[in-house]
Amino acid sequence: MAAEVLIFNLLSAVAIVSAVAMITMRNPVHSAIALVLTFVNVAAIFIMLRAEFLAAVQIIVYTGAVLVLILFVLMLVNPDDLPEFHSGKPMQNVFGFGVGLILLAEISVAILTRTVVAEPGPWNEEGVAAAGGNIQVIGQLLYSGYVLPIQATALVLLAATIGALFLGRPDEDQEPSPKRRTVATISLAHTRGADDDLIPALRAANIKREAGDRDLIMARDADEFTTSAEEEEKKGQSE
Amino acid sequence: MNELMPEQFMFLSAALFIIGMVGVLTRRNVLVIFMCVELMLASVNIAFVGFAWEFSQMTGQIFALFVIAIAAAEAVIGLGIIMALTRQRDTVDINEVRELRQ
Repeated sequence: MAAEVLIFNLLSAVAIVSAVAMITMRNPVHSAIALVLTFVNVAAIFIMLRAEFLAAVQIIVYTGAVLVLILFVLMLVNPDDLPEFHSGKPMQNVFGFGVGLILLAEISVAILTRTVVAEPGPWNEEGVAAAGGNIQVIGQLLYSGYVLPIQATALVLLAATIGALFLGRPDEDQEPSPKRRTVATISLAHTRGADDDLIPALRAANIKREAGDRDLIMARDADEFTTSAEEEEKKGQSE
Repeated sequence: MNELMPEQFMFLSAALFIIGMVGVLTRRNVLVIFMCVELMLASVNIAFVGFAWEFSQMTGQIFALFVIAIAAAEAVIGLGIIMALTRQRDTVDINEVRELRQ
């Protein structure tokens, strides 16, 4: 069928072009969107190769979960403009593309000169249809012969979840403040002398105003106008 | 060429893998390198599914399913490492990260 080959080549071309776009885009968000396009094309190729369940999993897991996660992390990290291909290390680029070309030549020789010969299995189009469909066949095989790998995969996913929680925990040096505080808010707009009545803590702490003609209160540190709850109580008792 | 040949998906798989590898070798942004690794994993899946299609087997599809599951776990851990890295060093430049110690 020529149409099948045509569609396959079209999907492959779009996948390869968007993959090239992914590694050449300067903006990482554009790279992520190009990667989404590649994955959608790969999912379509899976459908052509009679792997409908894997196509759905590809869309759900890769484009649905992983790429959304990547975009979230892209929004969280510092978006600094890295000198990629323009003023980076030219030797690194030459080396990378050279190794890529060498590997492409090697794989091309391997694909064109060797053929893989194997006994065809029972799961051709008719066999899969007789068993009820692609998902049914995968389910039957997966839960009969691959029970131990499934459990190992479940353990890997559990370990990944625990590892993500461990890696994403907050830093230890950001401890919560040990005592509750009452904070006096200082307005910078009122006239000189008015803040003495506004902020009782100012008189209690006996703070001298800075010299000058500006109507500002200069604080030596951030907690200068802050009294703890115990001091507030003590002051109330003494009065 | 009227029939879909196995060489076609093998070349597609190889091309995507090599594009991902070149991206890993040339880019400097950690997140783009991470995306390239995901692309390499997906390209291997094409080869698995293609061989399963060629030989009317299901083993390739089942292995591709496992690869996708492991890739999801790898994505979670990799992005967690990137988050920890940017919190500690405030950069996503791979050339700035030279040491594993704190």
